[in-house]
Amino acid sequence: MLGRNGAGKTTTLRTIMGLLRLAKGKIELVGESLAGLETHHIARRGIGYVPEDCVVFNMLTVEENLEIAMHKQDKETKERLIYALDLFPDLKIAYRRFAVTLSGGQRQMLAMARSLVNDNKIILIDEPSKGLAPIVVDKMAAALIEVKKRSTLILVEQNFPLACAIGDRYVILDSGKSVKSGTVHELATDEQLQSQYLSIGT
Amino acid sequence: MDTFVILLINGLADAALIFLMAAGLSIILGMMGILNFAHGTMFLWGGYTSVWVFARTGNFWLGLLAAVLVGGCMGLLFERLFIRPVYGRVTAQILITLGLMIVFTDLARVIWGATALPAFRPALLDGMTVIFGIRIVQYRLFLIGVGLAVAIGIHTLINRTRIGMVMRAGIQAPEMVRALGIDIVKYFSFVFAGGAALAALGGALYVPLVGSVWSGMGMDNQVLAFIVVVIGGMGSFVGTAMGSLVVGLMGALVSWFFPPAAVVVNVLLMALVLVFKPSGLFGWEGK
Amino acid sequence: MSRTQFQSLRLKVFGGTRLGGGSILALILVALVLIVMPQFVGIVVVTLFTRIFILSVFGMSYDLLRGYSGIINLGHALFFGGGTYIAGIAFANFGASPQMLLVAVVATVVYSMAAALLMGKIAFRGGSVVACAMITLALGEIVRHLAENWRSVTHGADGLTFPIPDFLRDRVSFYYYALVFMVVMMLILRQFIQSPTGRVLMAIRENEQRAIFLGYNTATYKLVALQVAGIACGLSGVMFALSSRFANTDLLTVQQTLNALLVTIVGGTGTLYGAIVGTAFVQLAQFFLLGLRTLHPIFERWLLFFGAMYVLVVLFMPTGIVGLYHRLGDKWARRGRGN
Repeated sequence: MLGRNGAGKTTTLRTIMGLLRLAKGKIELVGESLAGLETHHIARRGIGYVPEDCVVFNMLTVEENLEIAMHKQDKETKERLIYALDLFPDLKIAYRRFAVTLSGGQRQMLAMARSLVNDNKIILIDEPSKGLAPIVVDKMAAALIEVKKRSTLILVEQNFPLACAIGDRYVILDSGKSVKSGTVHELATDEQLQSQYLSIGT
Repeated sequence: MDTFVILLINGLADAALIFLMAAGLSIILGMMGILNFAHGTMFLWGGYTSVWVFARTGNFWLGLLAAVLVGGCMGLLFERLFIRPVYGRVTAQILITLGLMIVFTDLARVIWGATALPAFRPALLDGMTVIFGIRIVQYRLFLIGVGLAVAIGIHTLINRTRIGMVMRAGIQAPEMVRALGIDIVKYFSFVFAGGAALAALGGALYVPLVGSVWSGMGMDNQVLAFIVVVIGGMGSFVGTAMGSLVVGLMGALVSWFFPPAAVVVNVLLMALVLVFKPSGLFGWEGK
Repeated sequence: MSRTQFQSLRLKVFGGTRLGGGSILALILVALVLIVMPQFVGIVVVTLFTRIFILSVFGMSYDLLRGYSGIINLGHALFFGGGTYIAGIAFANFGASPQMLLVAVVATVVYSMAAALLMGKIAFRGGSVVACAMITLALGEIVRHLAENWRSVTHGADGLTFPIPDFLRDRVSFYYYALVFMVVMMLILRQFIQSPTGRVLMAIRENEQRAIFLGYNTATYKLVALQVAGIACGLSGVMFALSSRFANTDLLTVQQTLNALLVTIVGGTGTLYGAIVGTAFVQLAQFFLLGLRTLHPIFERWLLFFGAMYVLVVLFMPTGIVGLYHRLGDKWARRGRGN
């Protein structure tokens, strides 16, 4: 999901999660409406959420942050936990530390790992690269490409190259409306489109 | 030296009582953002209930249990009927809990009368112990014991249970907790009822210390609990504990040497903390 | 005069309020009734309405903080009780002369300003509405404790009776003084609200962070609001002393502050006349309910009704009577225009 600041990208994600009330229209997950449901019910349907600014719980350890996110305590969940920790080995080192001690990049990783411990078919991710050093962004991009194998990602990104590296399809929002959509490949090769809607290269 | 020990014991006992009331208030405030003005009412009803049950059954411990149950029930009732409808509206919450305080304080007066009732200590605890040659009131030692036990209990709850995890997370970002699939509203009920039960226990333990229960004691002690929460920092367990110690010890000290200043000293302390660290000694900025 | 001339006159007199022609007529009617009333009713009713006028100012001063500046002050009674005590102590100890009245007024203003300064400095540092509420509560309780313990001067909880200047002893003429007092105070407070300072305060009420970002020193503005509200409140306390000729520490309790809070909720917050409507409603309700005492002892428990009214209004009618009135007015207007 691309677009200028204030286009409504974060708002869309929050509305899907039920944090904002749907004013008009529909939100459907595999044919089932999500409108009007409580946030925690929506989450339990298998939608993960990695918000802007991560929002990891400072007063919990890395381990607890992951534990609190688990919907069930079964074998599959444990396997997913191991998978998540393998994707983000930094978290293994900091496992027993309180989240408040983590660096910005580590917090982002924790936020993403959190969305992996459950069988989430869809993961909403809001500006994961914000404020992170380029090398960290690269690591994260690799991780996201891995994650894409198991879940569908809805990624809001201002970092255009990153978005193109990870994404398959795009939609551009402007003033709350979808103005253009298509495959990322088309967008990456169309400079006029880029400058018109994303102010890239003007 | 004797005086010092007695003052210490007095202060710690007072701190224990204040802690019982302030702990619930602080957690409710930190996690739900609710300033519960009806908190003092639970304290009040805990006092009245325990006196009433003790008088009828002759069993002090039954009285305590009854107080805790009444407090918990009141908490559940209040939260479900009056707090939930106005969740999120800060002003409305303050107003509603104020209204509840007025109604239930007056209700207590209707039920038990406007004059103070006597409150007794159980025979088991009604005496003096001699430690290192100093005569100490047994009941005060008991209070300190209870305070410690409760503090340890809460600490364990917060740090070693799932409920505690949700509470710690909820104090910082309740929205995110919901986004992870947790129905935080259920936890709110628990926290509110728990805080109320603690306040009621505080009231039940307070009245034998001072010897009587009267309808104004809810508000008086509630203000003290507020001061502790401001000094210690909202939502911080350690802060509440420290704040209670400071207020309790300071109060005992001042009451001994210059009683009229007791009330003022607390507020001065609060003012001092606010000047140097507005979020409280252990609170965090931006909350 | 033409319709447009009437409109502009209306705007000038009631600047800002959405009063239609019908409302103005109603207002004039009410004013006439109030002016003429003492000639036809007994002393009890006259005193009741005098109290309504005085307590309306108490309520308005409260609404200045809550409705216009977004500050919840739970120690507001310290201004009211303070004013009453200052007047009472002055009269009791130095005689009830007009000069002493002047002294009392000046002393009350000074006291209010000082108390507001102190209170604001401490309470506004807390940061949030909640912290402010807690701190002001504590401060108000301190003043009450001080008054209770300073028995030599205040006679503690028993209360202080005192004489008042001769020219104010007649209930009927005092009624008119109180009415004028209320109208004058309302105009002054309205002027304050519509001044640039008042506008900033309303911005602070809406979103304090934004106001800070815009460069306003919100703490200073809030302090000014507290001072103005405090002075208005203190003066209403002095008037109250003149009316009741008695002062005790009940005037400094949280319950007393809650009286003001209640009338702003019932009447409608964010409008000065809401406080007047609310005060009238609550005082009249209390009058009638207590009058029903003879029917059943439950009516003795005024506080129960008070508290219950609180809870119900907050739950079901948060915009108060004035809010209800405006909503009905909108409904009528829409009907008139055929939707």
